[in-house]
Amino acid sequence: MKTISELTDFYYKELYPALQELEKDRKKIKKRFIIYSALYLIPLLFFVSIFFREWDLGNITFLFIISTAGTGLIYKHLTKDYRAHFKQEIIDPLIHAIDTDLTYLPKSHIDTAVFNQSRLFTLRPDSLTGNDYVSGQLESVDIAFSDLTAKKSGKNDDDATTIFQGLFIVADFHKNFKGTTVILPDNAQKLFGDVVGNWLQANNSSRNQLIKMDNVAFEKEFVVYGTDQIEARYILTPSLMQKILNYKKRSQHPLYISFVNGKIHMAVSYNKDLFEPSLFHSLLEYKIAKEYFTTLHLALGIVEDLKLNQKLWSKI
Amino acid sequence: MSTPLIILLVLAIVLVLMYNSLVAKKNQVDNIFSSVDTQLKKRYDLIPNLVATVSKYMDYEKSLLEEITKLRSEANRPNLPQDKKIALDAQMTKALGSIMVAVENYPELKANENVMQLQHALNEVEEQIAAARRAYNQAVTDYNNALEMIPTNFMASAMGYKHKDVFEISEGERKNVNVKELFAS
Repeated sequence: MKTISELTDFYYKELYPALQELEKDRKKIKKRFIIYSALYLIPLLFFVSIFFREWDLGNITFLFIISTAGTGLIYKHLTKDYRAHFKQEIIDPLIHAIDTDLTYLPKSHIDTAVFNQSRLFTLRPDSLTGNDYVSGQLESVDIAFSDLTAKKSGKNDDDATTIFQGLFIVADFHKNFKGTTVILPDNAQKLFGDVVGNWLQANNSSRNQLIKMDNVAFEKEFVVYGTDQIEARYILTPSLMQKILNYKKRSQHPLYISFVNGKIHMAVSYNKDLFEPSLFHSLLEYKIAKEYFTTLHLALGIVEDLKLNQKLWSKI
Repeated sequence: MSTPLIILLVLAIVLVLMYNSLVAKKNQVDNIFSSVDTQLKKRYDLIPNLVATVSKYMDYEKSLLEEITKLRSEANRPNLPQDKKIALDAQMTKALGSIMVAVENYPELKANENVMQLQHALNEVEEQIAAARRAYNQAVTDYNNALEMIPTNFMASAMGYKHKDVFEISEGERKNVNVKELFAS
């Protein structure tokens, strides 16, 4: 697989003409966005100041909601083509630069069934949205990932809770197993300390049995639940635990992993939509560009990083 | 309800909980040991085939092969205590490791399909055994902790529970090889 610096080269050399075109569009759209927003916000403020006698919290909240909703709609409408171009001209070639056999569907996402089957989150989502679906084979390992947002609706629209937002990856795992093993960020032990945290984890009724791992650094970072004490350790060998720790360090985001039905599922929480073009920063800025290829590299890198390509005898 | 009665009741509940947690820990150890045992048996079952195949080619390792056969017959005796089984497993792992290294010296063996298949099967079983050993060690550690920590230690000694041994996990299994250290010596 290409390294991050190779991808950086590709981005600034091969994609440079396309980037320049997009940059022109971006500046135009940015100008338009500022003008349209002003045309919306100034009259709005004017009317509001006539109607509202006093500025209490309710009125301010109301004003805030309608102004953000309005500008949000303007933004979405104006950037629609720009975003589509960006994905076609930049993200698509970047993905194919990594591997020509990968398929990229900008408007699809990981299936609800796959999300639920992963058992990563105990809440079932009512709505699952996402985009940027990539799938294919890397070193003969089936892999797919997409941007994903899973929400559970509440009583009112405002009560919806976000179960997960970020990168969701599914790949073949190279060992046979029957049960379920789930690795989650260790929040309880960080918040409440080892003794209370451990007790809380051991008594978590929404999960399977707690599995204590024999790697201190891993135990500090993660908590493991599973249906089978031995199988969980068969999957999580000392070397895989180390690799997962390294991966976590590289991603710098909360990491959820599960092993179900012969697959490894990984959810990297980002709390934002990935692979989207920025309107207020140039696409030529390294900081902006870097995020695109580090995220791609992170998603497709699991095959190499976790050595999923090393098939064992039992799976041949 | 009078105060002494409440205290007595609470004390009884605490004692019952302590007793149950100790029993659960002991059963967990036995339970996982039986899985370790199954995996060990799987490995012992592969041995006759392995010995038969490699002995045709190996001239200098006859004593090693004899040792493996001897260890296997020892391990197959009924009603072996857990600690004996643990000791036999350690010897077996070492002997099999030496055989696998020796195979490397015989090109005909290395290319032999039967040997290759056996090697893969052994690797797979070894991985399963390694996982089972680690699970067993964790269960034993939990059990031993309960035996030594206040207040369960009083209860455990009254119940006659004894300290249990863990599997020695070889250095190679525990961590990656440190090349620097190898050259330093």
